Amino acid sequence: MNKENTKGREHPLSMVINEAVKIFTDLGFEVASGPELEDVWHNFDALNVPKDHPARDMQDTFYIKGQEVKVLRTHTSNVQIRFMENFAKSGKKPPFAVISVGKCFRNEATDATHEMQFYQIEGLMIGEDISMANLKGVLSHFYKKMLGEDTKLRFRPSFFPFTEPSIEFDLKYKGRWIEMGGAGMVHPKVLENCGIDSGKYQGFAFGPGLERAMVIKYVMPDIRPAYQGDLRFNQV
Amino acid sequence: MKISYNWLKSYIPDVPEVEKLSDIFTFHICEVESLEKLLDGDVVFDIKILPNRAHDLLSHRGIAHELASLLDIKFIDPTPKYKVPESKSTNLKIDIESDKCRRYMGRILRGVKIGPSPEWAVAHLESIGQRSINNMVDAANIVMYDCGQPTHVFDLNKIQEKLIVRFAKDGEELTTLDNKNCKLTSSNLVIADAKNVLAIAGVKGGKIAEVDNDTKDIILEVANFDPTSVRKTAQMLNIFTDAKKRFENDLSPELGSYAMLEFSALILEMCPEASFEDVVDIYPQKAKQKKVSVSVNYINKRLGSNFSKEEIESVWKKLNFEYTEKNGEYEITVPFLRIDITGPYDLTEDVISILGYDRLEEKLPEIKLESKINETFAKMLLARSKLLNEGYSEVMTYVFRDKGEVGVLASASDKKFLRTNLTDGLKESLKLNQINMPLLGMKEIKIFEIGTIFKKSGEEMHVAYADKKEIKETTLSQFVSGESFSDFKLESRNHNLEAKFKMWSLFPFIARDIAVWVPENIESEEVEKIIKENAGDVVVRGPELFDEFKKEGQISYAFRLVFQSFERTLTDEEINSVMTKITNKIKENNGWQVR
Repeated sequence: MNKENTKGREHPLSMVINEAVKIFTDLGFEVASGPELEDVWHNFDALNVPKDHPARDMQDTFYIKGQEVKVLRTHTSNVQIRFMENFAKSGKKPPFAVISVGKCFRNEATDATHEMQFYQIEGLMIGEDISMANLKGVLSHFYKKMLGEDTKLRFRPSFFPFTEPSIEFDLKYKGRWIEMGGAGMVHPKVLENCGIDSGKYQGFAFGPGLERAMVIKYVMPDIRPAYQGDLRFNQV
Repeated sequence: MKISYNWLKSYIPDVPEVEKLSDIFTFHICEVESLEKLLDGDVVFDIKILPNRAHDLLSHRGIAHELASLLDIKFIDPTPKYKVPESKSTNLKIDIESDKCRRYMGRILRGVKIGPSPEWAVAHLESIGQRSINNMVDAANIVMYDCGQPTHVFDLNKIQEKLIVRFAKDGEELTTLDNKNCKLTSSNLVIADAKNVLAIAGVKGGKIAEVDNDTKDIILEVANFDPTSVRKTAQMLNIFTDAKKRFENDLSPELGSYAMLEFSALILEMCPEASFEDVVDIYPQKAKQKKVSVSVNYINKRLGSNFSKEEIESVWKKLNFEYTEKNGEYEITVPFLRIDITGPYDLTEDVISILGYDRLEEKLPEIKLESKINETFAKMLLARSKLLNEGYSEVMTYVFRDKGEVGVLASASDKKFLRTNLTDGLKESLKLNQINMPLLGMKEIKIFEIGTIFKKSGEEMHVAYADKKEIKETTLSQFVSGESFSDFKLESRNHNLEAKFKMWSLFPFIARDIAVWVPENIESEEVEKIIKENAGDVVVRGPELFDEFKKEGQISYAFRLVFQSFERTLTDEEINSVMTKITNKIKENNGWQVR
C-alpha cells in the first residue's frame, strides 16, 4: 500500500520566502514587516516620490476609495521607511540590515509574468561605508545560495527616486540573462526623511520580486496559478 | 521614446552598428524595449527614458549628444547651419500674467505657404510613428522630437491684438485641435488673445487659431511652463500629449533659444520666401547655472570602487562638464539641461554609468550584525508549520474580490474590493481541489491560507483552514496564542534544485478504479505492471494502489487510474476500451479475476 503522506503540502512561494529569509538572516539581516494598506507618506513621499511628479506614474497604483491618503503598497520599500523611522526614534545608531518579504500590488493587466498581487523581498543595509560593491556582493551571494553557484550577476543603469545611483540587475542562469529587479544606493533624502544622518551613513536597498526566483527555481511557465488556490501548484 | 537610427546618424555619423548600439543603451543609458527594422532600411529603437533623464534625453539630439560623449565620437552641431535671414522689427505683443510661465518666445513670420513637407521631414516623422500633416505642423513636431522642446504655431490673422499667458476663468471653454471640447477652471494655464482662449499651455492647441491651407502669416511659440501646472491641467482634462510629457518632466528654459533657432531654420527651408520678424522673448527670471561639488573619496566610498582621479576626470571631460579641482574635490558647473544633477550622489551615478557597472567588484560587507526574526514573521512560520503538520496544504488566493468594505478607485480587473475574510476564497479553493482529488491523489482535501484581510477599521493578518466538514478563520495572533516563539529558529529546507514544475492539462480528466482478485502469493507490483503496460499514454496519475484485503487464500488489490490529455477532451468510450484491454490482459493469468 502506498504510504499516505500525512503532512500537508506547502505553497512553493512560501518555500522560496523561507529560503530567502534564511539566507539573509544568516548574513545578519533582521526581519521586519509592514502594512499592505499604506499611507502615501510611507509608500511615496518619504521615498522621495513627490506628489504631482511623473515618478509617481512609474508604478500603477491602487488608490483607495474614500481614503485619499491610502494606497495598496506598490513595493515593500514602505518597510524601509517604517523601520528607519523607529530606529532613529529609538536613539540607536547604524549599522543595521533589514529584510522584509511581503505582498505588493500593481494595477496592471495580468499575464504569464505579471500579477496584480506579487511578493517582493526588500533588503536594506546602512552603515558608515556600505557601498554599491557591497550591494553587488550581497545580491550575488543571495542568488548563488538560492539558485546555485553557477549564476552570474550584472548591473544596468536605471532610475528610482529613492536610490542614487539606481540599477536594474540581471542574473545569468543556465546560459540566459534574466531580469530580476531593481536596487541602488539609498538616496540621502530618504535617510534624512527618516531621521538618519546622511552625511555620516550610507547604504543600499534592493527589492526584486520573489515570483521570478520561484519561476526560475521550479521552471514554471506561468505565475498566475500561484494565487488560484489550486493544490496542483504545490508540487515540490 | 522612439529613436530613429538614421536621425541619430545625422548627428553622429560614426554611430556604432545597430546591435552594438542596443548594448550601449542597455548598459550605459537605459532599457531598450524594442527594436524594429523599417522597410526603408532605418531602424527604430523604443527606449525607456526614465524621469531623471527626461529633461534632456526625450530627444534625438539629446541621445546623440549622450552617445557622442560616451563613445568619444564626433557630434555635428547643426547650429551654424541654422541661418535665419535678417529679421524685421515686430509689433507682436505678449503679456505674461503668471509665474507658471517661465519663458515665452514668440516670432511672427509673414508670407508662408502651407503645403506638404519635404521628403526627409516626412521620413523622420514616419520613422518614429508620427503622421506628416503639413509643413508648419511637421516643423513644430520635428523640433520637439529633435531637441525635446515642444512648440506651437498660431495663425496670426485669427488672433485678436496680442498673446496673453494667464489662468483660465472658471467656465471658460476651448475646442482642441482634435475637436475635444474642454471646460476650463482657474487652475488651468492658457494662452489667450484679447478675446478667446487659444491653447492650453503645454498641453494642447485650440481650434480658433489653427493653421489651415489659407494661412499666410503665423506666430511661432517656444515657451516654458511649470511642470506641475502642466501635469495637473493635463490630468484634469484627461489630455495626454508628447508636449505634456516633456513639460511635466521639467525642461530647462535655456533650451528655448536653441529651439527657436531650429524652428525658424526649418520653416525657412520649407518656405524660403517667408519674411521673419524679431523674436519677442519674455524671460523674467533667467535660469541660474548650478554648481555641485563632489570628491574622489566620496565617489569611491559610495561605489566601493577604487577609481583614480584621471578616470573620474575622464568622465567630466566626456560629458563636457566644466570643473575646477582642489585636493581631489571637484566643483562641477552643471549644464543647464542636466536638471537631474542636484548633489554629489547624482554625479556618482554619471561616473559609474559611464565607466561601467561591470567595474564594480562583488564584496560582502565586513560588519557584524545580529539577525532577528520579527514577531509577525515568526507567528506566520509557526502557524504554517503547525497546519502543515496536521495535514493541511497551503493555498494562496486573490486579495481582490467583488465585494468588501475597502474598495480601490480604479482597477484593471472587475474585482474592485479587498477581501474581508479568507473564508470566501478558501471555499472556492476547496471546491476546485475536491473536484481534482483524483488528480491530486489525495483522500481528503484539507487546506489553509495565511494572509491579510481588510476591514473598514484596518487590515488584519488572518489564518483560515478548511476540510470537508468546516472552515475556521481566526486572527494570526489568536491562532498561535499560547505557543512560544521566543527561541524560534529558521531552518533551511534544502530543496531539490532540479525539481521541475509540471504544468497541468486544462482538459477534463477521467478517473477509473479497477480491483483485482489474485492468489495470495501474488505481489501488488505484478498486477500494477500489467495495468501500467496496457493503460496507454494518457495516464496522468496511477495506477495507485488504494485498497487491499485478503479472503480465503486470495487477495484483492484496488488501483486508481487518472486519464487526461494535454490536447483534447477524452471520451468515456475510449477510456472504456482502455479498461477493457486491461481487464482482458489480467484475465489471461490463471486465477486472476477483475471484480
